[in-house]
Amino acid sequence: MADYFTSRGLPVPPELQRNPLTDWRRLSLIAAVLLILYIGLRITAIDTGRANPEYVINRISLLFHWDFSIMSPRDEFETYQNTAWWKMIETIFLGIMATAFSMIIALPLSFLGARNIMTGNPITAAIYAVVRLLFTILRSIDVLIVVIVLLAIFGPGNAAGVFGLAFHNIGVMGKLYSEAIEGIDAGPLEAITATGANRVQVIWASVLPQITNPFISFTIYRLDTNVRLAPILGLVGGGGIGLDLFQAIQISQYGAAGLIIFMIVVTVAAMDFFSAQVRKRLV
Amino acid sequence: MPPIVSIKDLVKVFPSGTRALDGVTLDVQRGEFVVLIGLSGSGKSTLLRCVNRLVEPTSGVVVFDGIDVTAADRTAIRRVRRRIGMIFQQFNLVRRSSVFSNVLAGRLGYRSTWRTIAGRPSTGDVAAAFENLGRVGIADRAFSRADALSGGQQQRVGIARALMQKPELMLADEPVASLDPATSHSVMKYLEEINKKDGITVICSLHFLSLARRYGTRVIALKGGRVAFDGKPDAIDERRFKEIYGEDAEEVEIGPGTGPGPSAAAAAASALADDASTASARLGLPDR
Repeated sequence: MADYFTSRGLPVPPELQRNPLTDWRRLSLIAAVLLILYIGLRITAIDTGRANPEYVINRISLLFHWDFSIMSPRDEFETYQNTAWWKMIETIFLGIMATAFSMIIALPLSFLGARNIMTGNPITAAIYAVVRLLFTILRSIDVLIVVIVLLAIFGPGNAAGVFGLAFHNIGVMGKLYSEAIEGIDAGPLEAITATGANRVQVIWASVLPQITNPFISFTIYRLDTNVRLAPILGLVGGGGIGLDLFQAIQISQYGAAGLIIFMIVVTVAAMDFFSAQVRKRLV
Repeated sequence: MPPIVSIKDLVKVFPSGTRALDGVTLDVQRGEFVVLIGLSGSGKSTLLRCVNRLVEPTSGVVVFDGIDVTAADRTAIRRVRRRIGMIFQQFNLVRRSSVFSNVLAGRLGYRSTWRTIAGRPSTGDVAAAFENLGRVGIADRAFSRADALSGGQQQRVGIARALMQKPELMLADEPVASLDPATSHSVMKYLEEINKKDGITVICSLHFLSLARRYGTRVIALKGGRVAFDGKPDAIDERRFKEIYGEDAEEVEIGPGTGPGPSAAAAAASALADDASTASARLGLPDR
């Protein structure tokens, strides 16, 4: 191939000079990856000794021997509020409340975080930068970390879960909302301004009609995500059905754990379907 | 009678350093149909937007009906704006909203913020919306979504929205540049009608010289942000045309059988379409 260039007296391009099979850069990259994987194996010392095939099949099958006793109060000290189905409903509402709280805060903030609304003078431009930075910080801290930190304030329970979830979600929804505002067609803004409308009227008449559908769509999408995340919150003390799942596994009640997992799967699937239907209709 | 718009030494330098307007001075009398022509980038859009201060001039003075637009505060500029209608190349309708609510938006300058948010449109405004939609011939599409309409229809909604302001002056920024030739004539005829019947002064930028000759009572050519020609449409001969558009430019035709859209340098008309009334007669356009 290099002949094409040499025969014409042209310089041979570097990618033709190297033999891919013997190129030291390529070989050393492969060697480095293998070395890192080897070191990783030594450090993590992954031990699968316990999981012989028979044992694995046994445990998995136990997960399918659903224990329906968790669906009703098991002794005189328990009420319906201790049943798994009630916990599941509670968990769904954890997700709904977290979405609602974050929406209330993200909605007004998103206007301050939209470049096309805030450019013009240095003060608003500074507010824009601060709000966007806030969104980035909120998003960068994982939900479970926030919930654990909030345990110090609220103690274990739904409060830590809801606000932990909302905290992270303000960052995500704020960013999505702001970008929806930034994506609008500026033409109508100009036209409405030209009619003599004031700033609030311009936003009311030309910005809002353009963002309602994206806002509803993003909110449903985050609701879907939050309901999906809510069962996990219990694992770190954030309330909901996650705690029951965690305890069931700890005390080897695999039948109960399997049923809870099934309920979560059904909920998430239903949420997914609902979210997709609504969003499809909005486009 | 004093001019409705009086522009003196208007300069606009954009932050990028572009000198869009470089000392424009002109007066527009009531009832005129002024056509602005010139190459892309010659300052037509900027000049129009300086009149209602959508663009903030760098220096110079714009006076609208005795009011110094360039010195007006926020409230005063809104009062000036609502007396000036404007239509745009891209129509600038809220695409998802109905034709009806787009037209009603033309009344915003006359309503309080509170009534905009909490109130319903007044009976008078609703009646005016249907009347204006009727004038531009699309009352039957009032409750369609704006983006369901064709380009020509959308521009007519734009005209109806501007008419809601009961304007004394209409600014039209390339109103037909996104439309095909036949539709262009129909939109221009509505502008001509509001100019002649309602006595609304029109300042309209156009690419095609044939349209300028057909509809304008006066043509102003901009070149490099300065006025290169100001006079009667038929005074633009071959030599003046070359002055405005450059030596390489050739007149192209807008009329039946030609494609839409001007090429980069060459804009304008042909001898064939000079008699635009016959051209529109051949197109079977409504003779209003």
